[in-house]
Amino acid sequence: MDSTINDFEAAIAELETIVKKLEEGDLALEKSLELYERGVQLSRFCHTRLEAAEKRIEILNERGDLRPAGTAFSKDEK
Amino acid sequence: MSSLFDLPFDEPEPAQAEANTPVARERPIEGRERARTVVTVSELTSRIRDMLETAYAEVWVEAEISNCRLWNTGHLYFTLKDPGAQLKAVMFKSAVRSLKFKPEDGLHVVVRGRLSVYEPKGEYQIVCEQMEPHGLGALQLAFDQLKRRLQAEGLFDAARKRPLPAFPRKIGIVTSLDGAAIRDMIKVLDRRYPNAHLVIRPARVQGDGAAADLARALGEIVTVPGIDVVIIGRGGGSVEDLWAFNEEVVARAIVASPVPVISAVGHEVDFTIADFAADVRAPTPSAAAEIVVSRKEDFCTHIERLGERLNGAVRGSIARLESRVHQLNRRPGFAGWSARLAMRGRHCAETTHALRHAAHGVVNRRLRTYQALRLQLEQFDLRRRLGAIRAKLVAADTTLRAAAIQRHHRAEARLHTCAARLDSLSPLAVLGRGYAVVWDESRTKVIRQSTEAKPGDTVRVTLAKGELKCHVTSTDD
Repeated sequence: MDSTINDFEAAIAELETIVKKLEEGDLALEKSLELYERGVQLSRFCHTRLEAAEKRIEILNERGDLRPAGTAFSKDEK
Repeated sequence: MSSLFDLPFDEPEPAQAEANTPVARERPIEGRERARTVVTVSELTSRIRDMLETAYAEVWVEAEISNCRLWNTGHLYFTLKDPGAQLKAVMFKSAVRSLKFKPEDGLHVVVRGRLSVYEPKGEYQIVCEQMEPHGLGALQLAFDQLKRRLQAEGLFDAARKRPLPAFPRKIGIVTSLDGAAIRDMIKVLDRRYPNAHLVIRPARVQGDGAAADLARALGEIVTVPGIDVVIIGRGGGSVEDLWAFNEEVVARAIVASPVPVISAVGHEVDFTIADFAADVRAPTPSAAAEIVVSRKEDFCTHIERLGERLNGAVRGSIARLESRVHQLNRRPGFAGWSARLAMRGRHCAETTHALRHAAHGVVNRRLRTYQALRLQLEQFDLRRRLGAIRAKLVAADTTLRAAAIQRHHRAEARLHTCAARLDSLSPLAVLGRGYAVVWDESRTKVIRQSTEAKPGDTVRVTLAKGELKCHVTSTDD
């Protein structure tokens, strides 16, 4: 993953800009391929971030400790 | 609630006299005044106080509040009035604390209390135990008051509302673990956002201290790294049940949150102060979960579409470029190009050939001219001319030599003549006739006079033939 991308929202915003630019046309072939490559990276990053998250439920107690919630809240457990 | 009344005070606490029951002192009555019953002011006041407190141990009064002032002790002093009369009133700290709304001047209220007398000043007053707004309920009034105040402060301004994150890394939830709200939210998320990461900070959502607990919980949960949005809420209930969400401390905690907050209190119809303060109001806890999910789903779709558009755009732009190339290829100016190029090529080859040919021709012509000239040059008989010149030279040479010999002979003859004449002229010729020549010894000087020699000298005498060396014996003049 490109290390220059780390913020999900920023990635989407940049991707939007790139798509808009490409759709406007009038770009040199080299430039449009360069933008395309960046766009693919960004899109991949977003997908990865969307899928990479892991279902988890944690409880923050009054002492500031985080611990996993019991199975009480995990309805989808077999 | 008392924090609502943090107003400056400018007078000392007068209530202490309350506990200081003045002692009525009976004086011995003088004889002449025996018929009269004379009491002291204190006594009289004390009696009046007893009467009033007995008769009006509990009374409900409806009036308008004026001169309302909260002392720093927490006691509230005010006047109850209607168009015809006024009544001093006090509400002690413990009662003030249970007020949901803030008493203020002009407010039409119903109070419950007991009458009492403030003896040092001879004033009677009502000590209020309870106060309700006249007409609308106390809670509603409190709600309106707080809403108005926070609104004036700009806490509910649309400009303060932050957009929800497209894809929260962690979703914070502040609510009770016991209610239906948390289960409803988890149910929605399980169904539509299977990889959600939830952090739940349990909090009391009703009863004493619930508001403070909610505010503290919200303040704490936003410090968990990765939490990008917080849902604060509870399930449905009575207005009193939901009251904690109308407290100022909760509204301020929501506004202070560094991440967007979704309020989700009660049902669709329930509006709380928290809802106004929140960045987004969800009608119910489930709806709050739906909102978070739909943001995520929207963005998934959005990203898909962006990806497709990205591909489409590049494919389109390549196709456009390709078709431009094709078009250019078919343009007449370009189509005849290769033919013209070939023609040019041939022309070029031909020209080269012609050039070479022409060059050869020139060279050959020159060569031929040269050969012709050489022939002519050869034909021009140089040797013969040289022979003629040589013959001339030989002739000249012979003539020259003959002339030279002739001159030589002539010179010889002249020489002979000259020699003969010379001989005849030579002094030495005289010698043949017996003359002699006398020289000095070195033969350098001819001696012509006897004085030129001395006796003893040697002299040389040249004769016609030979020479004598003679000693001078004497000289004779």
